[in-house]
Amino acid sequence: MATTGQAKKKKKGTRLWLIVHSWLALPLWVLIFFVCLTGTIATVSQELVWLVNPDVRAFPPRPDAVPLTYDAILEAIREAKPDVAVSYISRLAMPYFALDVLADFPDGTSRLLFVNPYTGEIQGTGGFFEFRYFVRALHGWLLVPFSGGASWGWYIVSGLSVPLLGSLVSGIVIYKKFWRAYLNPRIRLRSGARIFWGDFHRLIGIWSIPFIAIIAVTASWFLIQHALTHNNVTISTARLTPPLASPNISYSDNKKPRWVSLDRAVNAVSEVFPGFTADFISLPGSAAGHIAVSGRSAYPLIFGNASVDPYSGKVLITRGLSDRSWLELVTESMRPLHTGDFAGLWLKLVYFFFGLLFTMMVFSGMMIWLKRTAQATVELARDVKADRAISTTSSVREATK
Amino acid sequence: MSTAKVKNNPHAGLPGARHRWRFHLSALLLFIPVASGSTFFHEEALFFGYAGLGEGKPAKMAIGPWQVEIAEYRVDVPATAGSSKTFAIRWDPGIADRIKASYLKIAQPHTPRTAGALLSGGHFRQTADVLIPDEIKPEDLLWMTVEAWDGSVHHANIPIYEVSSTTSAWLRRQPPKIVTQP
Repeated sequence: MATTGQAKKKKKGTRLWLIVHSWLALPLWVLIFFVCLTGTIATVSQELVWLVNPDVRAFPPRPDAVPLTYDAILEAIREAKPDVAVSYISRLAMPYFALDVLADFPDGTSRLLFVNPYTGEIQGTGGFFEFRYFVRALHGWLLVPFSGGASWGWYIVSGLSVPLLGSLVSGIVIYKKFWRAYLNPRIRLRSGARIFWGDFHRLIGIWSIPFIAIIAVTASWFLIQHALTHNNVTISTARLTPPLASPNISYSDNKKPRWVSLDRAVNAVSEVFPGFTADFISLPGSAAGHIAVSGRSAYPLIFGNASVDPYSGKVLITRGLSDRSWLELVTESMRPLHTGDFAGLWLKLVYFFFGLLFTMMVFSGMMIWLKRTAQATVELARDVKADRAISTTSSVREATK
Repeated sequence: MSTAKVKNNPHAGLPGARHRWRFHLSALLLFIPVASGSTFFHEEALFFGYAGLGEGKPAKMAIGPWQVEIAEYRVDVPATAGSSKTFAIRWDPGIADRIKASYLKIAQPHTPRTAGALLSGGHFRQTADVLIPDEIKPEDLLWMTVEAWDGSVHHANIPIYEVSSTTSAWLRRQPPKIVTQP
């Protein structure tokens, strides 16, 4: 007797969790589906551009070919386009990609140049539409413009982390002994749509637990982070980079003095960070600006940054792992963990695969609900009808008695 | 009397018992990116210089031996006095190399140290957030200071209404300031 009572209580509890689970995502299911889908595309957006646009591809001419140094790249650009000024050079952490070089043109536009890292050839020029950034903006803040450092689109998207965390937890609670299904996976194809979508939802659900947990936790950090920035709260321990005192140099040709060699700047920074590869170099945006160098070092999730005086070549400020607080180490790891862009193409493909599964989770959840409510409504209608029919006959009998 | 047992509704408490279609209304939220799309592309074009120097009509200004183009980055009014407004400038290619630094300020600058906001950005096109002083008047001037690499310093000014008619119109609408003498 006591056991059945307990079982009943348990069943009631599960039912409550099921109700919670259903209400969490369903009211917003189209938006969640859209955010999952665009996020999945965003993980491989760079590779999609690579497939479509031959200008961004760069293969080594010989197997033993070494990429040009940054100075050689600058020189090659100067020769090909003497009237443009380079603003930054970005080396993607992937092989077979051209360098992204942002250049200022005399007409006032800034355009990306796709530069071959082996030959220095400018293979193409981008416009202001950049697919990667577009997908990222669509996924991250629904294109809602930022004003005062915040976008309400960002709040909407990152706010979805709350129902997401709830769905994850309630899903695990409802699915009794889900670990058994790792060894005995089950998808019933011939028992109707309701059964199929249910099996599908549960099977990919249990295999996606770590992925969904990563996405939900990192996304909730984006929510917190946005609220902090919006309210001018910072957890950063980074010192502000002081502007250079204006250099007191006048030149006889009255022109801008040359900046130090980029290779020298990179070498100086490499001495500070062990295992450093300079992935990104930006040139000063004014006479008081620095050469900024950043790149991956020993810990792939966080970049090391350094500022170099463009006139003396001295490293002014460095910021590596040891300069960060533990809170920064955790929070700054959130973005790469969310995007999966820190260990090469294979990890991006893993993220893409699980992103697709995740998108299908949202869809299958909606399908289960559709089929279940449809079935339930039909059953309910049938029972009520049967009940009415019986009660009418009995009342007729009673009346004719 | 009825003998058939009506089953409990297995769907009780679950969403959408009657109005299943309501849960597809979340599709309407996809109008957010559709509606924001044009602003997004406009901002991108502006940022990369494809939409001109700024949203405002550029004015030409002579400074020292040179000419500079100047425009308000956005046609809008400052949120309050004491906030800032972004202006953009563009140098011709022959000139850009000779300029060490340039500054903008709403008030006459006296030394390069007090010349106002430093313009920065690209080689040819640069922007600066100019502070809107509390005591600003509609007929005030926007001053530019240029320090050249040969050591020379030049000043020039332009009435605010010529570069930002919205700001001067806004200033005219402001109630007169009550100045309390200490």
